[in-house]
Amino acid sequence: MAKPDPNGDVRAVLDLAMKAASAYERPDFAHRLNTMLARVNRPDVQVVAIGEFKQGKSSLVNALVNVNICPVDDDIATAVHTIVRYGDERRAFALVKPASDPDGDGQRVAIDFDQIRQYATELGGTDPSLLVKGVEIEIPRKLLGDGVILVDTPGVGGLGSAHAAAGLGALSIADAAMFISDASQEYTRAEMDYLAQAIEMCPSVVCVMTKTDLYPRWRDVLEINQGHLARLGMSRPIIPVSSLLRVEAIRRKDKEINKQSGFPSLVQYITNDIVAANAQRNRLNAQRDVISVCDQLSGQFEAQRKALDDPEASAALVSGLEQAKARAESLRSQVAKWNVTLNDGIADLTSDVDFDLRGRIRGLLAEADKAIEGFDPADSWDEFEPWLENAMSQAVVANYRYLTERTSELSREVDEHFGSDGQDILADLEIHNAAQAMSRVGVDPSIDAEAMESGSRGLSALRGSYSGFLMVGILGGLPFVAVPALLVTGLGLGAGALLGRKGVKDEKERALTRRRSEAKSTVRRYCDEVSFQIGKDSRDTLRRIQRQLRDHYGSLADELNRSSTDALKSATEAANVAKADRSKKLRDVTAELERIKGLRDRAVKLAPSAVPPAP
Amino acid sequence: MSDQLIERTRRLLDQADVAFAGVPGSEALGAARARLEGPLRVAIAGKVKAGKSTLLNALVGERLAPTDTGECTKIVTWYHDGHTYQVMLYPRDGSSPVQLRFHRDDGAIEVDLEGRDPVSVDRLDITWPSGGLRKLTLVDTPGVDTLSEGVGERAFDFLDPKDTETPADAVLYLMKHIHSSDLGLLEAFHDESVSQPNPVNAIAVLSRADEIGGGRIDSMASAQRIANRYGRDSRLRRLVQVVLPVAGLLAETAETLTEREFGWLVELAAVPRKEMDTYLLSADGFIQARPETPLTSLEREQLLDRFGIFGIRQSMALLRAKRVRSSVELARELTKRSGLIELQTILTTLFVDRAAVLKTRSALLTVERLCEENPTNPASAELLLDIEQVMAGAHPFNELAMMAAIRTGRIVAKEDDLLDLEQTLGSAGVAPWQRLGLTADASEEQLRTTAYESIGRWQRLAESPLASHDLSQAARVAIRSLEEVVAGFG
Repeated sequence: MAKPDPNGDVRAVLDLAMKAASAYERPDFAHRLNTMLARVNRPDVQVVAIGEFKQGKSSLVNALVNVNICPVDDDIATAVHTIVRYGDERRAFALVKPASDPDGDGQRVAIDFDQIRQYATELGGTDPSLLVKGVEIEIPRKLLGDGVILVDTPGVGGLGSAHAAAGLGALSIADAAMFISDASQEYTRAEMDYLAQAIEMCPSVVCVMTKTDLYPRWRDVLEINQGHLARLGMSRPIIPVSSLLRVEAIRRKDKEINKQSGFPSLVQYITNDIVAANAQRNRLNAQRDVISVCDQLSGQFEAQRKALDDPEASAALVSGLEQAKARAESLRSQVAKWNVTLNDGIADLTSDVDFDLRGRIRGLLAEADKAIEGFDPADSWDEFEPWLENAMSQAVVANYRYLTERTSELSREVDEHFGSDGQDILADLEIHNAAQAMSRVGVDPSIDAEAMESGSRGLSALRGSYSGFLMVGILGGLPFVAVPALLVTGLGLGAGALLGRKGVKDEKERALTRRRSEAKSTVRRYCDEVSFQIGKDSRDTLRRIQRQLRDHYGSLADELNRSSTDALKSATEAANVAKADRSKKLRDVTAELERIKGLRDRAVKLAPSAVPPAP
Repeated sequence: MSDQLIERTRRLLDQADVAFAGVPGSEALGAARARLEGPLRVAIAGKVKAGKSTLLNALVGERLAPTDTGECTKIVTWYHDGHTYQVMLYPRDGSSPVQLRFHRDDGAIEVDLEGRDPVSVDRLDITWPSGGLRKLTLVDTPGVDTLSEGVGERAFDFLDPKDTETPADAVLYLMKHIHSSDLGLLEAFHDESVSQPNPVNAIAVLSRADEIGGGRIDSMASAQRIANRYGRDSRLRRLVQVVLPVAGLLAETAETLTEREFGWLVELAAVPRKEMDTYLLSADGFIQARPETPLTSLEREQLLDRFGIFGIRQSMALLRAKRVRSSVELARELTKRSGLIELQTILTTLFVDRAAVLKTRSALLTVERLCEENPTNPASAELLLDIEQVMAGAHPFNELAMMAAIRTGRIVAKEDDLLDLEQTLGSAGVAPWQRLGLTADASEEQLRTTAYESIGRWQRLAESPLASHDLSQAARVAIRSLEEVVAGFG
């Protein structure tokens, strides 16, 4: 059944614009448009399944794509992120790192389908010298073909489970999240705390209630949960589903059971709300890209046309264009305002983020020391350790969010400076409605905070850098937070017979003091290590962001430079055209301008309401 | 042995009564005496909706505690045996208790709080003549990790009161899967002091075991596997004695099965298996089955509420295979499948058989505290000495303390040695065959031989130059336990 391609018009316009770009010998435009086209063709939309352990996350992901890929077990829980994306054929990869060098670069190795279970669960991989960081699966499924990437995360809350930060880390790169809880009972406090954190990290979170097949009273639980959400100010739809019924429905090809399973609503939610919102964003961005290209191209022909039309005024025209060219050149230079803002901003940010992390860790250390004074590490270290790791992951997540927010601010600032300078150039080029064209010129769709619903949302520039996988790596395998042997060798029973009451008491106190100081130094070592790793990672991340922003605006400056140079050149040439050829040339140029205007009109039609009418 | 212990403790309480007459805080002695003479107090604790009230009903064999889809128990409620039916409310502000009216809603005791806020109530005390409460007094606690303000703290207050010992002698900790917040509550009950034995008086129960496997027919086996794995987890081992799977709802229903329900199940069992399997795919499917299916959808809904999908699947299988022919037989089979029997056995071997030790402990601690609060009282010094003598002389205390030491990882040795030591100390029960790891039908000769072999083994370990001081202490306590076993043969 051929469905009309909802993005066909976008693709057609982009194609046309690319043809124009190569016809006018502007490979820089062609490159930008090509990137946009790739994004429209494969709009990666990450949908992350989060929730506490044993709530049926993996079953849900399996049922969504109708194949048993995420391992499901009554007991063994998912241990690493499993990424399910579209591929023309079934393939699976494990993301591994050598155990000897956990900071080293990861590798992507192909694995068999029946090995997935082993790699993705608590069982761990076959080779103990490799740390499994994640599993990636490619399968041909329609739902995924629309660009949806499902991410199954390890549940939180269990004894051996990952930290809340692991799931939250994955959220920082997600477009949407499904918060999963089963129908056996109403939400618990731990779940609500987790959801609140998730909503802060990723504004598009939907609640899914699983296992409705097993509980006759799921509707009551649903109602109670909706009450909880409303009371806590987090109202959102809860979609009830049964993965078991979905699987059964597919097996029996039974539409009725499929309807009962609740999955049609979930699929509809994903395709309509999440994918469609993303497609709409891409559409707007494509439109703006094409318009910006059209405007710059027409600037060149406009200059030519003017010079041809009125050779007497060409001197003034040329001087105006020279000014534009000068401006465009300075925009490319090191001392351009945007460039200075960027370089200074990144330097400030690096030290601020580092300071923020150190401050948080110092607070944590003080708290830990105080706590250690209040208990005997021999008894309570096992409880203390998860507390410490949890507090640390909270600190790291908070630090990460600080970094994200500040980077958003900075990129907005850079964009503003670039935009106001760029606007002058376009004004010099006498482009109509320069303000409007400029509102987009500077901003790459992927780092436009406005195009995303909320400013607190992570920058896409961060994708794949300071990501959840890394955080799992850092917070998970902490080799040295093992209890030092000293901590557990308490004083035996019955020693009183040898030492006498007082002696025992003193000896006990000495041992306790020793254990406490040992515990404190263990905590300190742990904090140092985390601080070192996170610090290095955020510095790397910021450097990467700097490079990305510089390249991005640099290439835009190049485009403007090229446009103004071309405009100047064609105006100068036009002024020198022999009188006899002038009217023919004028006709040609006017025709070109008409063509470009035609293209621009088509771009406007992609989303008419988004563009203010040209004056 | 244990009678002697109780007798000595009684005498100590008598002396304390005289010594501390009129002293502030001495009313605790009366409470300590009541506790010593009464049945063992077992608290049922866990996260919200873990199935605490349901399991309480199953253990009593009668539907007493109300249960609901939403959060239900918001007040600590005591259930104990007595001659009359009575409900008393103890307010939080310490004012005198009030007798409350109650009615029974479908069996469950619905107490009329007369408009009081549950948060203002310290506890409800329900006296109920029932065979199920003769050996154990059960305490239902509100769930922790709840979203209702002020309710979750109550369980903590009860298990870990700020200024006194917990009124519970032992605790059944219920959980679905082990959540990290479960450890917090267990930790509250877990006392660090060596004189208070732990984790020996806590049992963890995977309480909605049938749901772990999604209600599949083999769910309990799956739950048992998980329980075994948890039982080996060091973090849990130091907090609880064993981990058991129990399908609470099924246990409760089996204990209170009615003839009418049996009749309904028989009607349903007549439906062809394939058709029934389709209905049983989901709860909704079962309730909304085709109109010509036996029973009204309302009746099927009631059945589902009582049995759960797992219970109905089990009953269908039993009835179809003609394994059961009467409601009594069905109830017996379902009880067996629910894991309740194992829980009751463990409760008996671990708690009831050791009740004397667990109960005297709290009485002795009460006297000890009074002595320490009144150091100038002429009797204090002598009483403290007596307490120490009772504690040191009572071998069961040493056993419990040693078991706790092993569990908390204070004693380092080979894992096999530790497991066997624990068994000798009575981790699996205090009967000779249980301590020796034999079967219940072992002959006296067998028991004797094994006991002497074990004594030899522990002696060698105790005297080994490689054994740590702690380990040889543990071995000596084990030898003493075995000597008592041998002495019992006469």
